[in-house]
Amino acid sequence: MTNEEFAAIKKLNFNMCMQCGECTGSCPISPKSQLNPRRHMLETAYLVSPLTMRPPLKIYERNEIWDCTTCSTCSYLCPREVKPLDIIIGLRGLLVEQGRIPSTLGDALEGVYKYGNPWGLSRSKRSDWAQDLKVKYVSEGEKADLLYFVGCAASYDSRAQEVARAIVKNFNALDIDFSILGNKETCCGNEIYSLGEKGLFEELVQKNLDLLDRYGVQKIVTTSPHCFHAFKNRYGRELPVKHYTQYFANLIDEGKLKLSGKIEKAVTYQDPCFLGKHNDIYDEPRKIIESIPSVRFVELSRSRKRSVCCEGGGGRMWHDIPGERLAEGRIREALDVGAEIIVVACPFCLLTFDDAIKTTGNEEKIQVKDIMELVAEAL
Amino acid sequence: MTEILVLAEHRRGEFRDVTFEMLTKGRELSQKIDADLTAVLLGHNVKEFAKKLADHAKKVLTVDDARLEDFNAEAYQKVLSHLISERKPLLTLIGHTSFGVDLAPSLATELNVPLATDCINVDFEEKKPIVVRQVYGGKVNVKASLHTSESYIVTLRPATFEVQEVEPLGGEIIEIPSPLKEDIPYKKFVEYYEPPAGEVDITAANILVSVGRGIKDTENMPIVEKLAGALGGALACSRPIVDKGWLPSDRQVGTSGKTVKPKLYLAVGISGAFQHVSGMKNSDLIIAINKDSKAPIFRAADYGVVEDLFKVVPTLTNKILEEKKSSS
Amino acid sequence: MDTIVCVKHVPETAEAEIAVDSSGKGIKTEDLVFDINEWDDYAIEEAVLMKEKLGGSVTVITMGPEDADKTLRKCLAKGADKAIRLTDKAFERSDAYATAKILHKAIKDLPFNLILTGTQASDDGYAQVGVILAELLGIPHATMVKKIESKEEFVRVNRELEGGLEQVMEVKLPAMLAVQTGINEPRYVSIMGIRKAREKELKVLGLGDLGLKEEEVGESGSWITMEEMFIPPVEKEAEILTGGPDEIAAKIVETLKARGLV
Repeated sequence: MTNEEFAAIKKLNFNMCMQCGECTGSCPISPKSQLNPRRHMLETAYLVSPLTMRPPLKIYERNEIWDCTTCSTCSYLCPREVKPLDIIIGLRGLLVEQGRIPSTLGDALEGVYKYGNPWGLSRSKRSDWAQDLKVKYVSEGEKADLLYFVGCAASYDSRAQEVARAIVKNFNALDIDFSILGNKETCCGNEIYSLGEKGLFEELVQKNLDLLDRYGVQKIVTTSPHCFHAFKNRYGRELPVKHYTQYFANLIDEGKLKLSGKIEKAVTYQDPCFLGKHNDIYDEPRKIIESIPSVRFVELSRSRKRSVCCEGGGGRMWHDIPGERLAEGRIREALDVGAEIIVVACPFCLLTFDDAIKTTGNEEKIQVKDIMELVAEAL
Repeated sequence: MTEILVLAEHRRGEFRDVTFEMLTKGRELSQKIDADLTAVLLGHNVKEFAKKLADHAKKVLTVDDARLEDFNAEAYQKVLSHLISERKPLLTLIGHTSFGVDLAPSLATELNVPLATDCINVDFEEKKPIVVRQVYGGKVNVKASLHTSESYIVTLRPATFEVQEVEPLGGEIIEIPSPLKEDIPYKKFVEYYEPPAGEVDITAANILVSVGRGIKDTENMPIVEKLAGALGGALACSRPIVDKGWLPSDRQVGTSGKTVKPKLYLAVGISGAFQHVSGMKNSDLIIAINKDSKAPIFRAADYGVVEDLFKVVPTLTNKILEEKKSSS
Repeated sequence: MDTIVCVKHVPETAEAEIAVDSSGKGIKTEDLVFDINEWDDYAIEEAVLMKEKLGGSVTVITMGPEDADKTLRKCLAKGADKAIRLTDKAFERSDAYATAKILHKAIKDLPFNLILTGTQASDDGYAQVGVILAELLGIPHATMVKKIESKEEFVRVNRELEGGLEQVMEVKLPAMLAVQTGINEPRYVSIMGIRKAREKELKVLGLGDLGLKEEEVGESGSWITMEEMFIPPVEKEAEILTGGPDEIAAKIVETLKARGLV
């Protein structure tokens, strides 16, 4: 271990850990992976321990460190506020610097570095989804009062693009003036941070802050809770960002958004980790759903803080592990409460559930929809 | 007399198809510029082989030497540089194959003869070859000329020129004594290595039949196995098939499996989740069979069939087997 | 094992839309992203793996404009010790032969046991440079290499042949090996790693430094001259084949036949 690595590890806050195991016990991934936050805490502590009797550190052999979805259940349940998630991200950082990263994750990072999106798709195709829609692109010298930050998934994935299209339609239906960055938009870096690629994350922060400054952005609304989280908590600067659920819930409060269309279905809601557990946003999405007349809203048996991750975060969109996917279990839970639609507020949840409905053979019984799609239908 | 040489390629006692593709192209060129078409056969105990070549060329030069039995660029280069220096052919055609890639550049350098590789066409303009090559992964074509010389070497891309059957030419077979005097000191052929059966490396296969959820039951797997067998390809799959234990995990294509770039990727009953598509999108030719017309796999595919796989696949397997029977 | 790795900085074109530029002899590159040639990425990885196992040094060399330093720095970050960039106005429009001559001048007096490069470059696809270089240096070579085992005096390599078969060869050292993709798993290099690699030596050499004459390089020193570049007629994407099962099967067989796949 180099001195730099030693210093980096020492900075991590693990001294308060009392090895109670709450983190591992609550980790949704640990039942199907070797991922064990408690053990990682212990090993990290040993790593920089002044004691001479150190057990050999196995972090470099611990590929399971990549299995974490960064849902942060471990961190908010920790009775000593140690934040095992930060330790995991810190350990990932050490591995990234050594180039020890699963190849599919390396490809995702390369894709962001070269093309500004983890799928490595052409920058010139980033705003293709908006071609036939009424949108304003940011332009030099003109202030973008409200910026709609689309994000990579909603820009490139055909299913998630439908959410971006719904958001644009909803903005337009409400006569809200907004702009998008078009092909200038680049990855927010949330997953890059979560994968421990600090250098790349710093570059993305710089690029995005430059863009926001250049176009005089006053307010940002994001599709994805991941972009929202990055801008809000990881950029080292206070940014005027809102997730769309906050923005549209506020419109309801102000009486500007009235949903009249009828959706006579039993609907449940998946709390995205980066909205719920990371940012305590639980009420706004529910407010929007419940404001749709005739929707029968049912909670999943585990919801809000107890909600279970869809397994799309922390780089897991590009790193699959064996065993039943968490999203598949969530679909069964949704069916158990009699839901016909599972509503999401995150493109990663949308994609993992879309797949899970097919893998569990429930296409006839349940659909996944984004809140913005529901709103577009009900407007 | 102007001469065009074609280097016959063979492996383990069989001609490679590129040999006859080059002879077809060579014949067309020899007629155009009024040249002799001569096949060159290097090997060991290849008399019978020579007869087959004599059907396609006016002359067949054979060099018989135990050191030429299996391809070794060092030995081949020594013999060919000798032949080309002696005969000064206007053009020598070599296949752009694993053998040709190992041989042509050093041969051309030794002889100081201009070389163009991986050509998809070659023509003459006043006894000077003009070639067409593909660059940027086939997205752009280049027309190029070779610098003026007495002799040229061009390597041709396999499976580009359709072999035309002709009346046997009854060419003359000329045995040339092996010019190999001493040992071949730098390179030694050890053996052929065939990945053992059962240990299929889907990343190395030229043809992949890949199966997804649409197959529904492990009992239906023989349907796709037969198709892969008929095509001489390997069987790959999307994740659910591995999850269900119907195929081992080394057959899985996608972000959690292998990334493949075969010449043909035939996706059967695969909807094409992005995890899967990112593992196969760079395949040369993608054909997808899926009954859902909206399946994303059709956005990655070159050809799509919107139909029940159970109806199409067995018919397709039979058609391929018929085709193979009639052409052999 | 002292290894020299020849790499190329190329535009990535797999996903991009390509247009021919106004000269008719090149493509528009403004919107393209340049990176290390895919095959060469495996070559540098193989060299670094050998260094990690056997010791020795890795020198990475390229011919190209200043932008190619990005590829060299990436290689240095992966574990190469030194980098050399060959650049000169006169080198422009060099084909594989002229390029190999330039590399030869730069390499001939360097100490090495092994030269590694990719079997081909994704831009011009000649698959020649390494082999010509070996011939100019008077050393043996092997291409399409999928596996390398180092022995004292020689390397034992598996060459990829068509149809999944491999050919095992023994090649005496010093030698040039052109590797095939898939020989290893190229490692990721972090941005921090690339930043740190700035401290490593990167030498730039031109025509005069190499003792070359202008007529030996560029178009005049090449074997082939490009006449014209053009976009081939593209086949329509995802063409849906229709008809009954028989008709569809016949259409597929026809397509496969046209491509030499049956």
